[in-house]
Amino acid sequence: MPQLDPAVFLPQIFWLIVVFAALYIFIARNAAPKIADVLKKRQDRIADDLTAAEQLQAKAEEARIAFEKAQADARNNAASIVLSKRDEIKADTEAALQKLSEELNAKIDEAQKRIDEAKSKALSDVRDVATDVCSEIVSQISGLNLDKKSIEKVVKAKTDAAMKGDA
Amino acid sequence: MAGPLEQFEIHSKVPIEVAGYDISITNSAISLAIALVILMVFMLGGMRKAALVPGRWQSSVEMCYEFIAKMLGDTAGHEARQFFPFVFTLFMFILTANLMGMVPWLHLFTVTSHIAVTFALAFFIFIGVTILGFIKHGIGFLKFFVPGDAPLALLPLLVIIEIVSYLSRPISLSVRLFANMVAGHTMLQVFGGFVVSLAAAGGIFALGSVLPFAFIVALTGLELLVACLQAYVFAVLTCIYLNDALHMH
Repeated sequence: MPQLDPAVFLPQIFWLIVVFAALYIFIARNAAPKIADVLKKRQDRIADDLTAAEQLQAKAEEARIAFEKAQADARNNAASIVLSKRDEIKADTEAALQKLSEELNAKIDEAQKRIDEAKSKALSDVRDVATDVCSEIVSQISGLNLDKKSIEKVVKAKTDAAMKGDA
Repeated sequence: MAGPLEQFEIHSKVPIEVAGYDISITNSAISLAIALVILMVFMLGGMRKAALVPGRWQSSVEMCYEFIAKMLGDTAGHEARQFFPFVFTLFMFILTANLMGMVPWLHLFTVTSHIAVTFALAFFIFIGVTILGFIKHGIGFLKFFVPGDAPLALLPLLVIIEIVSYLSRPISLSVRLFANMVAGHTMLQVFGGFVVSLAAAGGIFALGSVLPFAFIVALTGLELLVACLQAYVFAVLTCIYLNDALHMH
């Protein structure tokens, strides 16, 4: 086996040390730092982009919250406007109703007064007629010419009783 | 017809002798230099743009880097970061050397098929992690050889076993890589010899040469896997030894 010949050991080991040392120096000084630098730059870039994306997302979230708040405010505002308007309209309506009912009551009172007047006038007319009819009947039947005042008195008492009975 | 072991022979191309020591430029040394050039071209070429969005070449370089960085971090922890250039160099060097031997036609010498090379690497790692262990833990590093929860009667035996297993690390590490490379290349050579002999025999035997040829194709795939796997095993064991030295188990 050629590998076991001690004569070939030294030249191989010598050149191995030379080449390996050269390769080590090249990699340690040049290649590895360069690769590490590129990898680090890439990682930093990715991290930066991720941070930027996160910030943008946070901003979007803020905007969403602000929008929702504005919407809620507008809704509350509208509700309060509706409420106050409703109260106003209600008050107006009530005032108008109050006024109308007062007017109507006044009219009713007046009408009642007129009715009462008419009623008492009618009643006194009825009495006069009854007195005349009575005195006529009495004079016709009995031939007595009764005093008009006494007849009037009787008729008044009778009509008053009738009125009471009516009432 | 070349014998199956002939491919591992070292030929001196430029004889050099310094103070009686032979440091001739051999086919092995040339292969080492080619590996160095390949790796430098691979990395410089891949990182020449150092783009934020990498192309294929740059991606390959970064993938190798991240693969080793992850392996080192997983097995040896954050403290081992300072040894990353060494482990990265080790892995890339062994991987390149192993794969270079798998290129057909070029007859590139597989430097990792020599025990001198693999043992030199393994021994350097062994000495390195042992010194690291003593620097890190002082004389307390010797506790590494004393199992914590062993019964007292068995302790002397266990300490001896621990020491022997620790000392055999450079041997197992180097022989594993060396033997895998030699076995694979020898097998390919042997079956290649079958193809040639059968084809040369002519007639019905020539048809028979298809079988060992198909076997070579399959074996080449397997050997590519072994080349990558052994580079990985060498690197991962180095990480485990580093972890032992840094954290004592």
